Amino acid sequence: MSSSPVFAANAEVNESPTFPLRVVDGLTLPPEYRKALRPGEEWKDTAGRMRQLPRYFYEIPSWDSAMKIELARNFLLWEFIQVDVREAPPLRTFPRYVPCAITLLAVSLDRFREAVGTLVHISANGGYRSPSHRFSKNATPHAWGTAANIYRIGDTYLDTRSAIERFSLIARETLPGIWTRPYGAPTGYAEDHLHLDLGYVLSVPRDVKS
Amino acid sequence: MPPLKTETPPASRERALRTRIENIESESGAKAIAVALHDAETGFELHYKADRWFHAASTIKVPILLGAFAAIDRGELLPHSRVHVRNRFLSVVENVPFRVESGRDANSAVHNAIGKMMRVDELAYHMITTSSNLATNLLLGVIGPDAVNRTLKELDVDEGIDLKRGVEDELAFEKGINNLVTADGLLRILVLLSEGKAFSPALSRRMMDILHGQEFNQGIPARLPKGARVAHKTGEISTIAHDAGVVYLPKRKPYVLVILTEWDPEGSGRSRTIAAISHTIYEFLTQGPADE
Repeated sequence: MSSSPVFAANAEVNESPTFPLRVVDGLTLPPEYRKALRPGEEWKDTAGRMRQLPRYFYEIPSWDSAMKIELARNFLLWEFIQVDVREAPPLRTFPRYVPCAITLLAVSLDRFREAVGTLVHISANGGYRSPSHRFSKNATPHAWGTAANIYRIGDTYLDTRSAIERFSLIARETLPGIWTRPYGAPTGYAEDHLHLDLGYVLSVPRDVKS
Repeated sequence: MPPLKTETPPASRERALRTRIENIESESGAKAIAVALHDAETGFELHYKADRWFHAASTIKVPILLGAFAAIDRGELLPHSRVHVRNRFLSVVENVPFRVESGRDANSAVHNAIGKMMRVDELAYHMITTSSNLATNLLLGVIGPDAVNRTLKELDVDEGIDLKRGVEDELAFEKGINNLVTADGLLRILVLLSEGKAFSPALSRRMMDILHGQEFNQGIPARLPKGARVAHKTGEISTIAHDAGVVYLPKRKPYVLVILTEWDPEGSGRSRTIAAISHTIYEFLTQGPADE
């Protein structure tokens, strides 16, 4: 890394005294990270509407810390950052960066998890993935840290219409404003997981100097 | 085990070998049999209908293995790079989605990881040793058929290999869009691997180690002596039974043997036929009864 990123103001910017992650302004990151994360840039969704990508990120120093940090009572940070070889190379090593809105997703999923009463499993490539990920053709809430692909709930694999529609309904009843992808094979549908997202939410921590 | 000799076999013995293979073929009921042999000890080669094209079945996983290690050699992948295990693929026919049935894979290791990730070297291992179709399509999804074909061309082993798609693509099968191989095509790849010339001796050795882990041993290895080690890959569908590998015997250099067979769907005795040809080759190369 050629220069240290500018951390938002000081330690007080962390959202709670016990929250261990630092906020980073993506525009201050080294070029290889900026190229992969494209902080603050606009990006078209599938309908051609421009969406503004996140600019502020939590910095995750190590996999070990991701394994320990609770984003919600039932969700640890690592569950949201599993990406495979299709992710841009700088974002497969540590430190890693996730949009600050990831905490909103975690709290929402926690509520969903309480509603279903059992473990909710987010798939690989199914939490945060950057706009440079090979799956990211158009703007997707995954690149905002506000979408999750759930492949399994308890012992139920979500690879049938009945399973996906059943849990989709629970999600929509539990989480006002949540969007779930309908069951099906074409683009825009899902048939081997439940996709749910909060939309293109940008989280700007209070004390950052923009 | 008979004493091993290393002279190049005389033409009369080669004729006798061909006759024996013809006899096995006619007695087997197979629709077609092809054999390709390269003996590193004597330099002897046999090409019995070795340019005939066959449906590749799972032998296509050998070129895919080569393609995966080419990506490792180029630094695009690492052996421990992680791949999302997802059972959803797109047919080459109109991109229609399909899945690999779990019952079609010999073990459940890859299917049990759905939703999670597996390492490239783990997928390569399962693709070869238990012929996991899910592992195969996942690897091919990462590297791409075009990249595999480029690799084959760069290594000058593309002749006799026609890779068009992943496996279990039933829609493509119905349309006649299949992966094809010739015995000579597979022979060239295995010779390259056995001589340590695929990318580097170290990477060649790693691929050979994977091929040595083969768990289906009813073909080429079945009637070889206990001291024989075989690094190989089988392939079997309703009308096809193949085996292709490198045979290591004590105190001699290895030989590369490819046996491709085609059958009516109800045809039986496939493994027995491959094992019989393999045994005949073994006897021939070790100066046994093949010169009767």
